[in-house]
Amino acid sequence: MTATLVCGDHVSCSRVGGGMRREASRLRQHAQSLEDAVGELTVWKGPEAEAARPAIGASWDALRAAADVLDEAGGALQRYATDLAEGHELGRRAELRVHSAGLLLDGTRVVEPRGPSSAQEAERRCSQVPVVQARVDLATAHVGRARGRLARQMASLAQALARPPAAP
Amino acid sequence: MPAEHRMDPTWLDVVAAELARSSAVALEASDELLAHFGDTGDATAQRAVDALVNQAAGTLSALSECLGDTSRELQGA
Repeated sequence: MTATLVCGDHVSCSRVGGGMRREASRLRQHAQSLEDAVGELTVWKGPEAEAARPAIGASWDALRAAADVLDEAGGALQRYATDLAEGHELGRRAELRVHSAGLLLDGTRVVEPRGPSSAQEAERRCSQVPVVQARVDLATAHVGRARGRLARQMASLAQALARPPAAP
Repeated sequence: MPAEHRMDPTWLDVVAAELARSSAVALEASDELLAHFGDTGDATAQRAVDALVNQAAGTLSALSECLGDTSRELQGA
């Protein structure tokens, strides 16, 4: 029998997601401060200015792009944390149903216990397997969808992070 | 001095200081990302999260270096 039907720690996922969003906010504030400071340099002309201005502009673009990715990733992790918490609750209830029906879990499969039992008891347990299995499937499908969504979002954001910022 | 070069030299210091602050913030963000672990409970999702976190931390670290370099160049201008 599995120790826990739904694995993972929603608190740590939420904490990491929140941390990402806080860092994103700080990066955005500094990108804005940098843009404001550079805005004051409109009268700065000459070769040094021509060399420095694009580098500074690219830096604030990169800061903003990184902040956007972190904010989205943090939001995705926070949503996942909520889904995972719901999955834990669904899993907990499903496990209670398994136990109260006198059944066992083999991974995510609901099975009848081995050993001697009356024919009436065996029949009662057998009849309960489909409905209890449906409860287990509900929990595992819920977290399965959430995990798939999270993995796809992270992969997509990793690609966005690898792309250079769009030219103005 | 040509008119187009006339500007308040403290503005460059302001920008250089802001670049230096942004550099520090980017480095702190990079360290912060790597300091925590979110347990997704799934190997595939975990790999995707870890890959993004590592990539973001690397990007921010490189960005911090770049911002610091530009700040030092401005201070020397």
